[in-house]
Amino acid sequence: MKVVIDTDKLSKFYGQGGEVKAIDELDLQVYEGETFGLLGPNGAGKTTTVRLLNCIIKPTNGSAYVNGYDILRNETKVKRATGLLAESPGLYEKLSAYEFLEFMAALYDVQNDIVHERIDGLLKLFGLYDRRDYLLEGYSRGMKQKILIASALIHDPPILFLDEPTSTLDPRAALMVKDLIKTLSDTAGKTIFICSHILPIVEELCDRIGVINQGRLIALGTVDEILALTKTKTLEEAFIAITGGAEEKELLAWR
Amino acid sequence: MIARNQYRISTSAIRRIRAYFLYLAIGLVAVYVGLIAPAIVNPFIDDFLAFIITQAAVPLVQIMLFVFFFFMILFPISDTLRELQTAQIEIFLASPVKPSDVLLGEFLGKMPFYAIAIAVVTGTFTAFLTPLGLDLAQIAIIIAVFVIMFLSAFWIGVVVAAVLGTKLGKIARGKDVGRALAVIIVLPMIGVLYAIIGGGLPEALANPGTSQVVRTALGVLPSSWSAEIFVAFASNPGDIGAVGFQTLTLFGGLLTFFITALWVGTKVANRAYSLDTSKFTSSTAKPDGFFYRTIRFVGGGRSFGSLLSSIFKDYSRRLENLSWIIYAVGVVVLMRVFISDYSSEPVDQLVFLSEMAIPILAAFVVGTVSRGKNILFIFKKSPSGIWKFVKTRLLQGWLVAVPIAAALIAVLTILLPQISLVSLLINMVWGSLRTLALVTVVLGLAIINPIFAEESRERNMGIAINLMVVLFATIGFGIGLRRIGLSFGKLLPNINTFTVILYDHLLLTMVFSLVGILLIYIGVRKLERIE
Repeated sequence: MKVVIDTDKLSKFYGQGGEVKAIDELDLQVYEGETFGLLGPNGAGKTTTVRLLNCIIKPTNGSAYVNGYDILRNETKVKRATGLLAESPGLYEKLSAYEFLEFMAALYDVQNDIVHERIDGLLKLFGLYDRRDYLLEGYSRGMKQKILIASALIHDPPILFLDEPTSTLDPRAALMVKDLIKTLSDTAGKTIFICSHILPIVEELCDRIGVINQGRLIALGTVDEILALTKTKTLEEAFIAITGGAEEKELLAWR
Repeated sequence: MIARNQYRISTSAIRRIRAYFLYLAIGLVAVYVGLIAPAIVNPFIDDFLAFIITQAAVPLVQIMLFVFFFFMILFPISDTLRELQTAQIEIFLASPVKPSDVLLGEFLGKMPFYAIAIAVVTGTFTAFLTPLGLDLAQIAIIIAVFVIMFLSAFWIGVVVAAVLGTKLGKIARGKDVGRALAVIIVLPMIGVLYAIIGGGLPEALANPGTSQVVRTALGVLPSSWSAEIFVAFASNPGDIGAVGFQTLTLFGGLLTFFITALWVGTKVANRAYSLDTSKFTSSTAKPDGFFYRTIRFVGGGRSFGSLLSSIFKDYSRRLENLSWIIYAVGVVVLMRVFISDYSSEPVDQLVFLSEMAIPILAAFVVGTVSRGKNILFIFKKSPSGIWKFVKTRLLQGWLVAVPIAAALIAVLTILLPQISLVSLLINMVWGSLRTLALVTVVLGLAIINPIFAEESRERNMGIAINLMVVLFATIGFGIGLRRIGLSFGKLLPNINTFTVILYDHLLLTMVFSLVGILLIYIGVRKLERIE
């Protein structure tokens, strides 16, 4: 299978002397058409990884190739090949949903003759066509999330990065996004890279998962492989076993 | 508890020195009142003595105290409207605390800052009185009068802010409306200040007719009662009995006003704090009309045209941005009307526009980068995104600032006596070129030192810093070139003054354009490195 994301000792350090190791020698391969899940506790380095692979920030050491392009030398090509739903995304709230998607299409130089058709299609897909002229400031958090996912798809990239795609959605919208991710993976052949805390979603959607903690990739494989490795029955237990977690007794010790 | 919480919020920016902030503030205020204020007023004492017995004394002091009184009402309102926080109201409503206690707590929590402002203003006024030989009782009454008056003002401001904040918090565009109002409401007071400073107001008040009109109009305000006491004591130093009854009446009125304001405020508070949505409306966008189609066309029609049109929509739909433009134009007009010499020549018009009006306009249009760093990251994610971002912001800034500058210049120039059409057109063309250059400079400054804060206070600080830099640069460059003798007047001795100044300013415009391009280039590099 063709590798579309390939990192080699990719590292990102912050602070004087690089004392904060956000990502530390990450070696990872993601295959074409695969749905890959990156799990990790808060501050583990998931968002930094996504930002590195989308050329938003530059690595301190190491290298990475996305869709065959070097993230340091072929920045523009990498950006065209990827769509990103950021964890804390920016949004022009004074634009309508339609106008925002039009703006995003312009950013990625989508051809004028297909823009309107594509925007209409995405708005219909996400059930927002009837509210396309409403300013985003009046949208609920879930509706904004749908628009942001649509905006990540506007230039039809082969690789999609979704950083916490369902964390702010109601169950119905989360289910819709989950189905959409499945469709994109199964029928559109997209490679999807998901960062999420919501373990059932990752478990259900992802072909393989990686667990990252304190900047280091500490487990990689299918869900079954991870469960076997940790000798646990659920992904939740495996996650706690790998990353370490507080016992119930400790949590309630103050009572 | 609420007061302590409010105090902690107010001092969060200086929390490292919070433990000794009050002692520091008291010390500094004491130094100001005891040493600095007397030193400041000392050169004016003789003029003050002559002034205090004139017809204009009472109305002018009335106006001055009215300005302070009104500013102190506006301060809490403006502060609250700038950042409406409905989430905090929800915390209070969920707790077993009376709304009036919340209001009082917020007022008391901000009291240290109000006290500093009151001490500074009162200290300045009493510094004028001390050399006159007022006895201790008179000084004490004056201080009490000022404290009561200004506390009333702050309290009214806090109450109005709570009511307005709650009302605006309920509507979708409330935050935006609040921010816009916070900018606009100070404009009338700036007008009054300029009128006092340079508008010939003191001279006008020397006229008994005008003076009486002002006294009658402002007489109903508590600030005017304080002014009456102030002038009465200043006219009768050491003789409190001479104006005893008048003082007693006015002081009693002031005290009654303060108590009534407190009582009304606590009653209003129960209605102010409510989160019941009065109406639920969502704004919609209309299909692009002629204006946005033109903007798209100006941007080249393709992707960049779309980007420009989108950025333009986001800018023009924010009332806060429009209020900054109104504010900038208002300040320029007020300066022109009250401060600068109205009988000036076209050449003075050039100097005024170049050194004051255009920098102000440019700073208020492109003085900050974006709301939140995440907006920048949208661009960073896209191919050549940072350059696209800066290009659209620059073009959008030009498209907003140049027509306004041209219109402003046209109006200000037409007002000059015997202005020719050629001079008018030259002024407009030259002014437009200067605006292009200065917008480039300000945007360059803004992206070199970017402020991404959502909060208006921090963004306003960024605008103020960039405005100061560009103002000093324009004035400094102008003076600098004249000092070193670099002027077309020397190269071309036979041309008239207007043309010389025009050529000089065109040269400066070219210099600013180059500086602006350099700053933009450095700024883009800076934005590209932001993580």
